Amino acid sequence: MSADLVRPLNPRRITVLAVNTFTQLVRMKVFYFLAVFAAVLIAANFLDLPVHAAPESAGVEVLYSIKSSCTGTMTLFSLVMAIVATALLIPRDVEDRTLYTILAKPVPRLDYLLGKLLGVVALIFVSLLVMDLLMTAVLALRTNAVVEQQLHAAEHFGYTAEMKAALEAETRQLGPTWNLQAAVLAIFLRAVVMACVAMLLSTFSTSTLFTAVVGFLVLFVGFFQADAREFYFSGSGTLGRIGALLLSLFLPDLQSFNVIDAIIEGKLIEAGQLGMVAGVTAFYFLVYTFASWLIFAKKEI
Amino acid sequence: MKTATRRLIAAVGLLAAAGAARMPVEQAMTERFREDGLLREPVDVATQKKLGQGFFAVSLGGLRTLVATIWNLRAFGYFEGKQWVKLADTYETIVLLAPHSDYYWDTGSWHMAYNASVDYRNREHLPELRREAEWRQWVERGTAFLEEGARQNPDSWRLWAALGRLYVDPFKLIDYEKAAEAYHRSAETGNALPYVRRAEALCRARIPGREDEALPLVRELNDGPRGKVPTLNCVRFVLELRADPGIDRDRLAAEVFGTPERAWRELGDFYLGSKDYPMNGVRTMLRRLERELQIPDEQSVLRNP
Repeated sequence: MSADLVRPLNPRRITVLAVNTFTQLVRMKVFYFLAVFAAVLIAANFLDLPVHAAPESAGVEVLYSIKSSCTGTMTLFSLVMAIVATALLIPRDVEDRTLYTILAKPVPRLDYLLGKLLGVVALIFVSLLVMDLLMTAVLALRTNAVVEQQLHAAEHFGYTAEMKAALEAETRQLGPTWNLQAAVLAIFLRAVVMACVAMLLSTFSTSTLFTAVVGFLVLFVGFFQADAREFYFSGSGTLGRIGALLLSLFLPDLQSFNVIDAIIEGKLIEAGQLGMVAGVTAFYFLVYTFASWLIFAKKEI
Repeated sequence: MKTATRRLIAAVGLLAAAGAARMPVEQAMTERFREDGLLREPVDVATQKKLGQGFFAVSLGGLRTLVATIWNLRAFGYFEGKQWVKLADTYETIVLLAPHSDYYWDTGSWHMAYNASVDYRNREHLPELRREAEWRQWVERGTAFLEEGARQNPDSWRLWAALGRLYVDPFKLIDYEKAAEAYHRSAETGNALPYVRRAEALCRARIPGREDEALPLVRELNDGPRGKVPTLNCVRFVLELRADPGIDRDRLAAEVFGTPERAWRELGDFYLGSKDYPMNGVRTMLRRLERELQIPDEQSVLRNP
């Protein structure tokens, strides 16, 4: 049976391809990166600078260090993995001739693309989950230590039970919270968008290197897309506005995901706001995947 | 036209149409996130120049706080080397990277207003006038830095309280009015520890010419839970006397302090150790208490000027 006659979007087929892609990536020993993460995590624990802090602030800087180092490492890992792993997949399948074997079977190309993409997404998800668990565990331990230290000092200064409770609650806000998990989710969602972009690029590029380089360029420009969009809406100069429009139309807005920084600094993100970020990610996923399929469906391989 | 080309054009059309559809939505989302403090306003050209290469770090989300952490480490090196100008510049950049971390505002201000200022004052090879000028400049710089931090983070009780402490520090540029206002803003956040309102009351009692305005707050705190602390008792006693010089002093002392012994001890410490508080009736009261308690002359607090 020809692949054209088979109904696409078969969940089982997509899952098989995704699992296969996940296994393929795991065999490339990407999880070695977790050792680097562990090293960063351990190092962050020692960034305990002697400061002037009053008893109610003592030790909080190390909590900031752990959070910023871990989320920074997660950001780097997830973005590099999203671009490079996705860029690698189709050319590697061509090189290994696996692609011909798969597409010779009744596998629609849309399912193939989705399977590959979801495999990468699953790998990023699992990696972030492991890193998140490690970060949460270390942060919980360290927060307990800081709280203990602060309460000891508060005892010395004669704080009342009410004052001590307020102090503890405030310090625990800097530790592992659901809000911090929202930041990790935002990191994941941004990586999903970049994986979709890399997938789209790899459908018409001829080499992994090209996809990876252009992918990183898109990533970089994506952080400024919102500025270009703002210039289009409120700037002057026809040429400049046309350029800004083109950037805004085709490139993803990665600034929306910068909520991560505010969250690490202690700003609370509401479920609705996180939902908006997730909604935008879903939109990118659908549009870029569909555009990838339009190009890849009839591509001569 | 080849099918592949047609499909490529269709893909470009799809991306353009989807882009046009999402642009206003993303713009609205960005504006809302900025209003909610989740995203920062675009960095202006002057700040871009100041940040230099760091500008890109500011723009790359998820890495800003990491860069701030690393720069904080760098700043500690400047602190150890007493390179105050570099240290101050570094903290100016750090707070651009992480403007909502009150820790960086507090630490930067501390380095400038306390460490740098004292270091300059102790540099004996410098002429006296220069030392004083540098001391003043660094206190002012640290204060301005902290004021900006409090302005950008109005909900941070810690920053307002730190500002209050700085204004009331006897070794800095005392301004009780500003200190009282800073403590007031701290208490208004609703998260401050109870000592902050007490600090506000004690500052209000020391604003020259406006001491009496502190009385309602002093009364409220003194009558409230855990309000019977020595300085607050003494300030209450003094302000009540200022408000009504004809008041029955013995009865007032009994109400405020409880026992004559406690009144003598607390008023004595207040008389000897406090600065800038009104002292209405304190000497007279101490004299009466010492007579009543038969305090020997050699133990009299009034022996001291």
